[in-house]
Amino acid sequence: MIKITLAGVNHKTAPVDIRERIAYPKEHLAPAVRALSNEETVLECLLLSTCNRVEILTITSNIHPSPDFFTEFLSRTHPSLNGVSLRPHLYYKTDTEAVEHLFSVTASLDSMVVGEPQITGQVKESFEICRKESSVGPYLNQIFQRAVSAAKRVRSETAISHLPVSISYAACQLARKIFQEMSNKSVLLLGGGEMAQLTARHMKKMGVRSLILMTRDPSRGEPLAAEYEATYAPMSRLEEFLAEADMVVCSTGAETYLLTVPVMESAMERRGFRPLFLIDIAVPRNIDPEISKLSNTFLYNIDDLRSVVSANQKEREMETFAAREIVHQEVSQFEKWRAERSTVPLIQSLRQHTEALRLSEIERFSRTLDALPEESRKQVLLLTQSLMNKMLHPAYQALRSSSNVDEAWEWITRCYGLPPDIVRPTVADRTREAPEKLVLDSPLSDLPLPGEQPC
Amino acid sequence: MTISPLELLLLEMASGFYLGAFILYLSEILLSRPPRIPWAPVTAGVGGVLFQSLAIFIRFGFQGHVALLSLREVLSFFSWSLVLTFLYLEHQKKVRILGLFIFGIAFFSTLMVIGISFRTPVLGTGEPIGLLLSIHTLLIDLGLASAALSFMVSLLYLLLDQFLRRKIFNRFFSRIPSLETLDQLNNNFSGIGFVFLTAGLFFAMIWSWEKFGRTIPLASQGRLAFIGAILVWLLYATSVLVRWNRRFRGKQAAYLSISGFLVFAATMLVLLFFSKGSHFIL
Repeated sequence: MIKITLAGVNHKTAPVDIRERIAYPKEHLAPAVRALSNEETVLECLLLSTCNRVEILTITSNIHPSPDFFTEFLSRTHPSLNGVSLRPHLYYKTDTEAVEHLFSVTASLDSMVVGEPQITGQVKESFEICRKESSVGPYLNQIFQRAVSAAKRVRSETAISHLPVSISYAACQLARKIFQEMSNKSVLLLGGGEMAQLTARHMKKMGVRSLILMTRDPSRGEPLAAEYEATYAPMSRLEEFLAEADMVVCSTGAETYLLTVPVMESAMERRGFRPLFLIDIAVPRNIDPEISKLSNTFLYNIDDLRSVVSANQKEREMETFAAREIVHQEVSQFEKWRAERSTVPLIQSLRQHTEALRLSEIERFSRTLDALPEESRKQVLLLTQSLMNKMLHPAYQALRSSSNVDEAWEWITRCYGLPPDIVRPTVADRTREAPEKLVLDSPLSDLPLPGEQPC
Repeated sequence: MTISPLELLLLEMASGFYLGAFILYLSEILLSRPPRIPWAPVTAGVGGVLFQSLAIFIRFGFQGHVALLSLREVLSFFSWSLVLTFLYLEHQKKVRILGLFIFGIAFFSTLMVIGISFRTPVLGTGEPIGLLLSIHTLLIDLGLASAALSFMVSLLYLLLDQFLRRKIFNRFFSRIPSLETLDQLNNNFSGIGFVFLTAGLFFAMIWSWEKFGRTIPLASQGRLAFIGAILVWLLYATSVLVRWNRRFRGKQAAYLSISGFLVFAATMLVLLFFSKGSHFIL
């Protein structure tokens, strides 16, 4: 029986000083995968390494590798970890639990920021490296495809990824509640702080018509404006640009209000009372809070944006229940596939046994059969084959649909009078002798079951 | 002549579909996640409209002319045109949240139509009302539907404005389209409603001129209708014209649309109740 084992270290189990030492640099990942797949017991393996986690998933036959196997491997491939005991930080999961964990990781349910989209891409990249290193077989391939499918479903069927959890992104999402189209909107950035730069980046992605950057110091503002493809303007032209801008992001170090009620009233008059979205992320604040009372102006400060983010985080956590249900469904689908797949060697043995019987019976009646005309002989041989397939079909069905394959096999061996050890040693032997044969010819295809072959 | 059982059955089917669409839209808001079958509520709405179209067709067939005089007929046509406009809007702008209100109203309207039909199963005399009056009733009913849409969009605008000002970020907030979209829709529906209302009144005046030789009615019920209609028309004319003034954008326009619809609906109800469904008989 195939065994799935997962072990790893992540942001929940290990501090950053361990995580930074255990993470594989991109160029070291392929050699590590090669080393792992060269291990005697490992049939297939996946190595996932990000800044927040290092996880190893192995497919072995009959026995789960012990946690020590993983700690030993990690220590061996990370000389900098000498003397560090990884065992207290390591989590170890087997079979369904392991699969469920990997699905949750891929769907970003186990991430530091739940719902962040990068992890799915990182899993895909790791899988691609493993595939190139030929450490991927039918099981890992199936696990990967189901994991990606679960991640896609989580993203499309829950609101987990629709709720921004960064302040700059939350500001951009709020802008969408005021404006229908961003492509005809102009954004005015007052000050070139980090948050303003992040907002500028998001705004650029949203396809705003123009970005105007204003700073007190042109030597700092001009290069920044060039970086974000924005237009630089001096602070003295503030009132002029206020009449044109649809969104203003304030993050200067000014000690007093840059935008006061009279300034805004005059600007609103000149801009024809079109809605204006003001974001004040400066501390101390740059925009007079009284401005929020003006019609068609919407003012948000850093605390307001933080409350948006925290509300979204809570909402995301609520959504994880629905997301976990999707992961459960995909895990059950995989388990079903796995159970079906585990019957393949049994079915093959049963078929080989009955085929041998059929051939020996044909041999016994060879004289009679040889006396028949060629066409009739062919018909009789076809008849025996068809009869055998028809009689075996219920047994195949029973094996595939059985929740307990061992019990079903026991029953079948008794019914067909098969020796009890007909299959187990053979499969194990084959696994050891020629693992590449047990793994499918093509890692992306399934082995056709005997019952599915045409008679 | 009694109510056709087929018409009643079709109305019941339509109300069932509208209820289904309403529940589906409601669940979208309550569940706070992208719908698994996003086309399901719209499909239910289309089903409802098809059944109601047949019911209206049968009613017009029975009467032998456009029948939009009684409360039953006005309500039925009102909900039908409301849903039809929404389906077009949903196709163009994806204002899903509006579906909750539209199908809620459509469901209760059809339910009321069914209730009235059971209470008074006997139809009117079915006397033909002439082309001018048919056009008048059609246009006024369509104007009412536009005003209702404008009213709902304005309510959503004020709600979103409050959410944004008070920093309330609930599930409802995330479902409402942008302020700019709502303002644009309000503008469009007010404009369309105004055109329908103006044209409807114009046809009524021509009819009055042809029948009585005067465009302004003198009888008490007619005078009431006329005052109501003029009031609504003035409100709508104001709401359309003040948009030329840039100060009356967004919130102010939403208030005007809300008051416009309320006066419109009140006038219609007063006319339908007090003139016993025959306000044109002056």
